[in-house]
Amino acid sequence: MKTSLTRREALRYTTSGLGSIAFAAMATEQARAASAANPLARKPSHFAPRARRVIFLSMGGAPSHVDTFDYKPKLTADNGKPGKYGPNLLGSPWKFSQHGQGGLWISSLFPNVSRHADELCLLRGMHCDQPNHSQAAMQTHTGSFQFVRPSMGAWTLYGLGTENADLPGFCVLGDTRTAVNFGSAFLPAVYQGTKVGGGSGGGGRRRFGGGNQEVFPNIRNPLLDSKAQRTQLDLVQQLNRNKLARDRHQPQVEGVIQSFELAFRMQTTMPRLLDVSQETDATKKLYGIGEGDTDEFGQQCLMARRMVESGVRFIELTNGGWDHHRDLRESMVDSCGKIDKPIAGLLTDLKRRGLLKDTLVIWAGEFGRTPHAQGGDGRDHNNKGYTTWMAGGGVKGGFSHGSTDEHGYEAVSGRMHIHDWHATILHLLGLNHEKLTYRHAGRDFRLTDVHGAVATEILA
Amino acid sequence: MKRTWATIAAGAGLILAPTWNTTAADRRTSEQTAFFEKHIRPALSLYCYDCHSEETGKTRGGLLLDTRDGLLRGGDSGNALAGATYKDSLFWEAITWGDLEMPPKEKMPADVIRNFERWLQMGAPDPRVREKVVVDSKLDIEKGRKHWAFQPIAGPAGETIDSLVAAGLQAAAIAPVGPADAATLLRRINYDLIGLPPYPKEVSAFLAAWKRDPKQAIGAKVDELFARTQYGERWGRHWLDVARYAESAGKDVNVTFPHIWRYRDYVFDSFNADKPYDEFIREQIAGDLLKVRSEAEWQENLIATGFLAMGTKSLNESNPRQHRMDVADEQIDAVSQAVLGLTVSCARCHDHKYDPVPTTDYYALAGIFLSTDTYFGTVASAQNKRASRLIELPIADRMDARKRMSQAEIDQMKEQRQQLQTARRNARNSDGGSQQMMAVIRRRIAEIDSKLAALGEDGIPATMAMGVQDASRPMDAAVYVRGDVEKPAQTVERGFLQVLPGGGPTRIKAGESGRRELADWLTSKDNPLTARVMVNRIWLKLMGEGLVSSPNNWGTTGQKPSHPELLDLLAAQFMNDGWSVKKTIRRILLSDAYQRSSEMHEGNYDRDPDNRLLWRMSPRPLDAEALRDSILAIGGGIELRRPYGSMISEVGDNRIGRGLNQDRFPTDVRYRSVYLPILRDDLPDALGLFDFADPNASKPKRDPTNVPAQALYLMNNPAVLAEAAAMAKFLIRANPDRGSQIRSAFLRVYGREPDAADLRAANSFFAQYRPVEQAADSRPRGRFQRGPGQGQRPGQGPGQFRGPRGMAGMAGGRPGGMGAMGGVRPGANIPPATAPVIPQMSAEEQTLAVFCQGLMAGAEFRVLN
Repeated sequence: MKTSLTRREALRYTTSGLGSIAFAAMATEQARAASAANPLARKPSHFAPRARRVIFLSMGGAPSHVDTFDYKPKLTADNGKPGKYGPNLLGSPWKFSQHGQGGLWISSLFPNVSRHADELCLLRGMHCDQPNHSQAAMQTHTGSFQFVRPSMGAWTLYGLGTENADLPGFCVLGDTRTAVNFGSAFLPAVYQGTKVGGGSGGGGRRRFGGGNQEVFPNIRNPLLDSKAQRTQLDLVQQLNRNKLARDRHQPQVEGVIQSFELAFRMQTTMPRLLDVSQETDATKKLYGIGEGDTDEFGQQCLMARRMVESGVRFIELTNGGWDHHRDLRESMVDSCGKIDKPIAGLLTDLKRRGLLKDTLVIWAGEFGRTPHAQGGDGRDHNNKGYTTWMAGGGVKGGFSHGSTDEHGYEAVSGRMHIHDWHATILHLLGLNHEKLTYRHAGRDFRLTDVHGAVATEILA
Repeated sequence: MKRTWATIAAGAGLILAPTWNTTAADRRTSEQTAFFEKHIRPALSLYCYDCHSEETGKTRGGLLLDTRDGLLRGGDSGNALAGATYKDSLFWEAITWGDLEMPPKEKMPADVIRNFERWLQMGAPDPRVREKVVVDSKLDIEKGRKHWAFQPIAGPAGETIDSLVAAGLQAAAIAPVGPADAATLLRRINYDLIGLPPYPKEVSAFLAAWKRDPKQAIGAKVDELFARTQYGERWGRHWLDVARYAESAGKDVNVTFPHIWRYRDYVFDSFNADKPYDEFIREQIAGDLLKVRSEAEWQENLIATGFLAMGTKSLNESNPRQHRMDVADEQIDAVSQAVLGLTVSCARCHDHKYDPVPTTDYYALAGIFLSTDTYFGTVASAQNKRASRLIELPIADRMDARKRMSQAEIDQMKEQRQQLQTARRNARNSDGGSQQMMAVIRRRIAEIDSKLAALGEDGIPATMAMGVQDASRPMDAAVYVRGDVEKPAQTVERGFLQVLPGGGPTRIKAGESGRRELADWLTSKDNPLTARVMVNRIWLKLMGEGLVSSPNNWGTTGQKPSHPELLDLLAAQFMNDGWSVKKTIRRILLSDAYQRSSEMHEGNYDRDPDNRLLWRMSPRPLDAEALRDSILAIGGGIELRRPYGSMISEVGDNRIGRGLNQDRFPTDVRYRSVYLPILRDDLPDALGLFDFADPNASKPKRDPTNVPAQALYLMNNPAVLAEAAAMAKFLIRANPDRGSQIRSAFLRVYGREPDAADLRAANSFFAQYRPVEQAADSRPRGRFQRGPGQGQRPGQGPGQFRGPRGMAGMAGGRPGGMGAMGGVRPGANIPPATAPVIPQMSAEEQTLAVFCQGLMAGAEFRVLN
């Protein structure tokens, strides 16, 4: 795989409004590529990739599939009848209709996303091992619901390196409280996700667009200039190397060394990345920025596009509040309303900038919900069958893969376990999930453990 | 005044049997049934089901009217049919537009109301009875009992920590590394016991003592540190992680808990006193029920029950039954994880998927907690539908006298209340009042009421705590089918987990909840989990990983112990020592396993990289509190006295969000990190960036990360720069030349002398560093920039904090301004959000400060060997 950007890539960067950062990135990247020691240096994929980067839209709390992307006419017909586990079935309160040339059935909750139906590849046969949020979310991110393992962002970064070593290669936006889902576990610390925006606790502070608040805390030194700071950093790193020499192998110290170097460079790149002042009003409007409910996720989606342009390898946006045990009718409208326009805006923007074809956009919760009602107006957890989708990055658009039973309880065809899903994502990135291994505790670990089959049906 | 369903005193979650109708309803004649079907069912369907039925999925006011059970259970306001006669029932009040007005838009026609009256006179015969559901379990408890963690604790005779660790190493043919050197060990012990580095003086004293007799030196040091109050803060904080301590409710309506700091201090005091762990647990679960010898003890026990009250709450829950169940569920979750290391709340909707905990066991426990009233305070508002009262403590806190209100102030508040009520009446009658305005008025009245209610005759607010009390009518709970509170199945006797000794239904003292019995059962020496779980927590904090590496999950999906016999040895000794935490810590600290060096051994590392066999001491990152405290300690000095209360107690009742959050609090305070405001979903940066425990649920261990955001904090945060500056100024005063300054800096930051390589790095720095010009005011350009002429922070009027709920704040931006009703906002009192200031420095000072900061940023400072 090439270690420098192609001319076309370079041109694309220059037209993106981030040209200067991108060129700076290229220069450093080329210098860095010479140094095999840099763990973030770009690495060749196993085979030609279909996607070069990932935007993972993570829907915490688990959205209902039968109200969104898994059309179940029989569920509607059987509304009120007992479901397979006893409680009465609840037909979706929302209308489904067909969209795009592919005729995908999507509910009225996603009027904007459904305009991109021909980009979407619906995975309707998803299943995972656990019906509990924290465990299923952990499995969605790391493959394991039990052990602390590297997240797929960390694996991706480990496998491919990054295209811009002056920014974290794996960025996480939104609710970032569950560190284990973005962690690198036994992989070098430099591969773990860096939180951008959101307060340190993931709370209401420091969301993008919150006036003049600092989105990335401590990004500027209040006293030292860059030269003085570099002299200081040289001292820090020399002390760290001394310690490393004394301690010999010390992953934590290696992690500190790398994170300080990256932090130093980020002082230049991060403020420019986060400065959306050059974005036009039309673009902001596209994402629903400044429009109440859609503002927050819109800001995140716009930031994701800017990160994509800047060469960030893996971007995760987290959006919570999908645990609709109650008040389904009201809450689904709210939850979907917050993300529909921003996601559609992101897809539009990526496409018009020529980025969608090699950016894999993934939308997924940790599981789905029961076709039967809970308390009349809610749905319970369901890990046996649910829907996620992908777009761009080498997947078939306007395509639906797999299905659940007539009511939506269980995946029956085109079944895709989380391990298969991971294998497929890595495959799209040009990585063989069986070959992407890391030796630890005397054995080779993989994202997919000893499982996983690539869903070749969905490859474009 | 009219009432609505929502504003009638909430909290009546228990089912009170109505007096005049139940028996009649059970014995229906066919004429009565016919009357119901002809006149009542259609009317209910037409006028009520829209908002109160399962079919439409709406349970306004928590009320369901499509089953007889629903009608009898009632909603937020209680049983709809209770009362001396039908005319006293809420149902009648509502349909006749008495105190309630239902349906809300228009009264039902007179003939319909007459039919309802006839029906009520009959005793409300209602044929809409469902068959009683019985939930039974298919779990094999007997088989479940065989799980290793449920076996009795058998302390192996004649063994020690080291003999058992050695056995594990020998079996794997791994030779451990040698002992750590004295300086490393001192630093390790200091951090492990009190979370602070040793000062240079302490280092030299220890090294001298070590030369005389290493064993004795360590023993004496351990005792010395145990005697310092910082020990209780360090170890108490470990418990606070497990106890999900926080000063706000979290979730959607993240309101403050201004009184919970008393629980925090109680925990610190308990660890300092080495309170036996069994007693510590009993107090937190049933403190209000325990016998006491003094008011002081009673006070302490009441505060201890704050453990049960401080969990996350969904305060916007509209169904009181759901809320009560959610609170009980959270309590079961916290107790079972913290004390037993089990995830019992998984059994709320169905039998536990992995562990032998049937859903009936869950409801046996739930009966205990549903028979308990939780007093968590907070002020009612449109969003906070579930505010409760607090517990008034028997001994008044002298400090509350500061908040004494004069008669004039009280009168003013009453006057204000009057005005608000008038405003509300006018708004309602004129149809001009927006929903939003009404909500603001209601909340303001609630705020004033809660303020006034807390005042004693002398105008001093009563001293309050969060905690629990037994409900007035404790009773067994019904199993909810799949956790659905509208679908009760059979009632189960209160009791404990069957799979553990002494489990199953239990005899509970009449009129009590059963928490006393639960506390005794948890802390029984026959309970195989309680002692094991706690010694494992202690081991985890001292060794970097637990013997069981899933400290809150000892079920079948948890991890097996690396050293089962060692676990039992520690647990047995723990109980034999009278559940003394200090003795357990001491035993571990004095072991060879603890005192080993953390040096690398390639061969061992290849075979056991995670150090499960303990061939060395695992290098551990400093946690957030230790890091911040250390920077203060070696910089300008740390305030070791306990601050009174908390920033949150100063703020009082309030809501966390964009208006009030960590950015509003001062960050230049010098007291220990454990006293910083711990808000759910909004932690102080100095803690949140360094992997502080998320307080939303019990957190048994921190998840260390290593990210650039941390590096940026250490490089750029003004707090760090200010401490480095203070340290440099101190070093220059105390040392005559650069050489001794460097040496002194290493001793202060790393607790050791610099070696040759360090000196080369230092000299190279001083040769290259060129001081930058410090602006006259180099205070950070931050969120609260205060340059000349900018005397106030955003959103803050002169001398008065305006929280998100402040009337004045509302008036500015919203139509239908509330200015007329404005005035004193009760209780909002917040220290100014001052940030650390980097002092002016000479070139020499700056150079040394930048050097010192470099040392603090070094990995050696953050990674404990």
